[in-house]
Amino acid sequence: MATNAAYFEEEKLDRSYDLRLLKWLYPLTKPYRIPLLCSIILVILITMLDLALPYITKVAIDRYIVPKMETTILPTDTVGDSKARYLKVDITESQTADIVRRYAPLFTREGSYALIRFDDLTHLDKKDILALRKGDLAGVSVITLLFLALIGANFIFNFGQVMIMEYTGQMIMHDLRIRLFDHIQGLTVAFFTRHPVGRLVTRVTNDTQNMHEFVTSFIAVIFKDIFLLAGITIVLITINWRLTVITFTILPLVVYAVIHLSVKARDVYRILRVKIADINTSFSETIGGIKVIQLFRQERENYRRFERLNHEYYQAGMRQIHVYAVFMPIIELLGASATALVIFYGGGRVLTEGMSLGALVAFIAYMRMFFRPLRDIAEKYNIMQNALASAERIYQIINNREYEHRTDGKAYEKPGLPERIEDIIMEDVSFSYVAGETVLSKVSLHIRPGETVALVGPTGSGKTTLINLLTRFYEPQAGRILINGHDIRTIDIDRLRSKIALVTQDPFLFSGTIRDNIVNGSKHISDEELDRIIIASHCRSLIDKLPKGVDTELAEGGSSVSSGERQLISIARAFARDPDLILLDEATSYIDSETEQKVQVALSNLMKDRTSIIVAHRLSTARMAHRIFVLNRHRIIEAGTHRELMAQKGFYFRLHQLQQ
Amino acid sequence: MKSLQLIKPYFLEKRFIIFSGVLCLTIVDFLQLFIPRVIKWAVDDLTALQVDPNGLLRYALYIVIIAVMMGLFRYVWRRCLIGTSRRVEEGLRNQLFGHIQTLSASYFDTTKTGELMAHATNDIQHVRMATGMGMVALTDAVVLGIAAIGFMAYINTTLTLFVLIPMPLIVFSARFFTRKMHRLYQDVQASFADMTEVAREGFAGIRIIKAYTREKDETARLETASREYVNRNLGLVRITGSFFPMMMLFSNMSLAIVLYLGGRQTISATISTGDFVAFISYLGILTWPMMAMGWVVNLIQRGTASLDRINRILETQPETDDRTDALSPDVAWKSLDLYDVSFSYDSLTPPVLEGITLSIKQDQTLGIVGPPGSGKTTLLQLIPRIYDVSGGAILLGSVDIRHMKLSDLRSRIAFVSQEPFLFAGTIRDNITFRNREITDGELAKAIDDAQLTETMASFPHGYETIVGEKGIILSGGQKQRIALARAIVQDKPIVILDDPVSQVDSETGSALIRSMKSLAGLRTIIIVSHRLSAVQFADMIIVLDGGRIIESGPHEQLMAAGGYYAQTFRLQALEEEPNGN
Repeated sequence: MATNAAYFEEEKLDRSYDLRLLKWLYPLTKPYRIPLLCSIILVILITMLDLALPYITKVAIDRYIVPKMETTILPTDTVGDSKARYLKVDITESQTADIVRRYAPLFTREGSYALIRFDDLTHLDKKDILALRKGDLAGVSVITLLFLALIGANFIFNFGQVMIMEYTGQMIMHDLRIRLFDHIQGLTVAFFTRHPVGRLVTRVTNDTQNMHEFVTSFIAVIFKDIFLLAGITIVLITINWRLTVITFTILPLVVYAVIHLSVKARDVYRILRVKIADINTSFSETIGGIKVIQLFRQERENYRRFERLNHEYYQAGMRQIHVYAVFMPIIELLGASATALVIFYGGGRVLTEGMSLGALVAFIAYMRMFFRPLRDIAEKYNIMQNALASAERIYQIINNREYEHRTDGKAYEKPGLPERIEDIIMEDVSFSYVAGETVLSKVSLHIRPGETVALVGPTGSGKTTLINLLTRFYEPQAGRILINGHDIRTIDIDRLRSKIALVTQDPFLFSGTIRDNIVNGSKHISDEELDRIIIASHCRSLIDKLPKGVDTELAEGGSSVSSGERQLISIARAFARDPDLILLDEATSYIDSETEQKVQVALSNLMKDRTSIIVAHRLSTARMAHRIFVLNRHRIIEAGTHRELMAQKGFYFRLHQLQQ
Repeated sequence: MKSLQLIKPYFLEKRFIIFSGVLCLTIVDFLQLFIPRVIKWAVDDLTALQVDPNGLLRYALYIVIIAVMMGLFRYVWRRCLIGTSRRVEEGLRNQLFGHIQTLSASYFDTTKTGELMAHATNDIQHVRMATGMGMVALTDAVVLGIAAIGFMAYINTTLTLFVLIPMPLIVFSARFFTRKMHRLYQDVQASFADMTEVAREGFAGIRIIKAYTREKDETARLETASREYVNRNLGLVRITGSFFPMMMLFSNMSLAIVLYLGGRQTISATISTGDFVAFISYLGILTWPMMAMGWVVNLIQRGTASLDRINRILETQPETDDRTDALSPDVAWKSLDLYDVSFSYDSLTPPVLEGITLSIKQDQTLGIVGPPGSGKTTLLQLIPRIYDVSGGAILLGSVDIRHMKLSDLRSRIAFVSQEPFLFAGTIRDNITFRNREITDGELAKAIDDAQLTETMASFPHGYETIVGEKGIILSGGQKQRIALARAIVQDKPIVILDDPVSQVDSETGSALIRSMKSLAGLRTIIIVSHRLSAVQFADMIIVLDGGRIIESGPHEQLMAAGGYYAQTFRLQALEEEPNGN
């Protein structure tokens, strides 16, 4: 069963995908190479700045705030503590020399320098300390300025990067969306009967949006997170490679925890998504079927079912909380353990190997930074999973090649279509929508230039199908259709349709102004012509009563105008096309009798001097035609003028008798 | 604020859990503040070179122990606080669902499904976020903020004051930005909806588009809508994209202040190096509560707005509800009578039905025919009180049905609507509504009466075949027959059928009519049909036109009268002839 397969195809998508998806996505990015490149360069710059900021603090501490240990020049008379930090000052400067003189017992002189123990600095007057260390103070000021400059730059780069990235991602999606829409529109009408509109719309809107997330997350992961991780590792190694190796021993645990978290989180997220979809279904089903539920008094049972579903969702939610409540603290714990390791082992290095304090502080800061991109990757992983499922669905549609048999104009240029559609011949045309269920069987007819022909017959006798074949919405399975002697299949579809006007039973109007709906994109219609069309199609009075006349916007579903008025507008649309062939598919069936009069007049205006085919519900409409074809049970059973058919006293005659 | 009553019960129910959650969160916050302290000690000792490896190990152990404790308490608060918000969500959704079910059909005529769905998902989610993350952010903002500032002030008050200068900026810009983001986000959503509508039109009107070779115009329309969407997104990102970097900028400004002033003070030995380092750590901790403060205000604002919207639905009273003095009569009724019934969907539109008076005896069959829009379906819907009459009265026995309990009235009626509605479950569930008292034999009988036996055999899983959302795998005729089987199996004294053969071919139609005929005389049947052969057997037939009865009587009488009924009947008889001649 075709519908069955189409329905369930939605579900089997959560399987894995492969590189061909990426290969297919890659060309889409081509027009945006430059912004993408800019964005990537900015990401790299930002990452470097992110890495630089803690380093600046390190420099500030090491170079200016806490001077390096002066172990090599330790004075020998210092007993007790084998090590101590000393501040080294230059006594050639008069102010410094003066201070050193005043606190002589605290200083140890050594050539042109004097040393003072760090602890002893507190014995000095504040002003004196600042004077002694004015070089360091100046250094701190410079570093602060540098720091300010860098954070300013960081802000600007970040903003620029996000904007460029968003622009690029959105434009790629825009292109994809247009391409997809264009592609779907080019598919056959049969495709549309198999695929619900809602699903197609989702492909064009939501799924492309998910793809956008994919592009941005992908770039963020590759260029930011991984780059940042690599950068941090390099910085850590330069600061102290041995300490890096030691702290990285817990890295496998972290990676394991992160992977585990992403997998678990993804699983539980999937369950949540399925459950919320079920809940939404249950809601919309209940709203849609409220009458059935209330009439059969199923409220309690339905509520119980919903409650169970809702509780399952709650439980899944709790599981999600559990997953995060277990893994987030574990990752944080591992982070804290890394800090502990740095303090223990790094602290030891400070004591024994003269690792600087600033280096230690920077190391702690970098270790902290290391965990952010890891968590980020875990989150992005889920987004990407979701996006790839969307990509897969889009890919399936793009891969569908049920195009209408459009001729490129090349192969069939010679026969082509002459200026006007003149006569139409059907030869033994058979058609069925579903194999085995015949709709038309060996139908033959000949319509002469300028003739108006009516098709009558019971519901399901194939009248609309016949029209569908003339517009090439469908191709006949057997027999052929000739227009001016050319097989319809050799005529370019767009050219053929550009000469046809179709007016359907339920007029489809687009949201937009009435003018747009009538003019229908052809810009070469002047205001005078439009006026003429409006008068001929009896739209004058309806347009005059609207506040903005022909420029009135039609609301969704065209509720501001009645269905009869909509029909009139759709007839005006047919006028504006100035067609050679007019197809009316029960165009007057849902109209009140007063409007119907108008519509009839409008229609006969339209059909004057043009070849027309009318599918008629009421026999009074059929009488307008030059000739009438009676369809019943997939075949033409009677044909002729009204008079001839009446004389035959067959099916038409009896139909006519009854409708009197 | 009245709507807060909605979530109050859940807070009361979980008050101990909430209390322990908040307590744990507070403990975690304090522990979190302790780690910079330990680092400070270590750094100070290292500056003074007054520590041995054992001392360092001790500090490292402190950190690990604190981290383990934090982990444990974190688990508890996440479960307690976020868990509570999930409970609120579940409860609210149940309430909303339960309430929606009681509302009458007229409510759903005026309310869009999409709107209700939005309440069920988005609004409830907002409330969840406001309760769960709201509680967390609030606690964090208060505890962590005050404590971090306290620790910093303990180290050095002046420096703390200086460092706090950019902080109000964070709070206010967080508020400003999140609010602006919310508005822009709505813009994005609106343009997304517009784009969706263009795409929908492009697919729904595909025949007209193709016939008028409008494909290019449609693509251009989508292009415009899609570009607008892209622009809206860029507008949003202009704000979100500057928000986080700006927060970073502000907190880095504080860091610059620490670097400059704190650096000076460390140099002048006013504060120790350890203090300096700890200060930097506290700053890092302080950024989050500041942002949380701005965020939580918006979160709660949005949550209450959502709660108000939900509350408005819950306060809607069903129009056709049991009256307080509703009877539950055990009447043995003999007839169903309509007296001068009129109906209009709202007071502004002209009446759909006027002056309908008729009487149906128990176990008789009433047929209703008439052109489209003549009020047939509306008339049927008045009987089970999907709508209440606007004028006149409907009496069952001698009781006005408006005085009966809805459940009493509806328990006597089996209704098959024109557009059969199927639920996503199995065929069996759709027919029996999971009523286990219905035996397989009864089910098979109903299926047979509804001419479904053959169809069932063609399904691989028979009765257990899952029909999909709205019965998508079935044809219109199959859906109609399942709805019919549903009505048959219910075994109710009154059976109402709204055009039950409209979507089946004529052979199946005739078979269905035979099944219905077999019910005649056993149940009270009211049947609307466009196919007049389906009402031919009725004891009484009425013809509606423009909301009024224009003809009535049994088949023979109407045929003899030669009016609408007779004319239509002959026309259809002709169409149904095997070869049309």
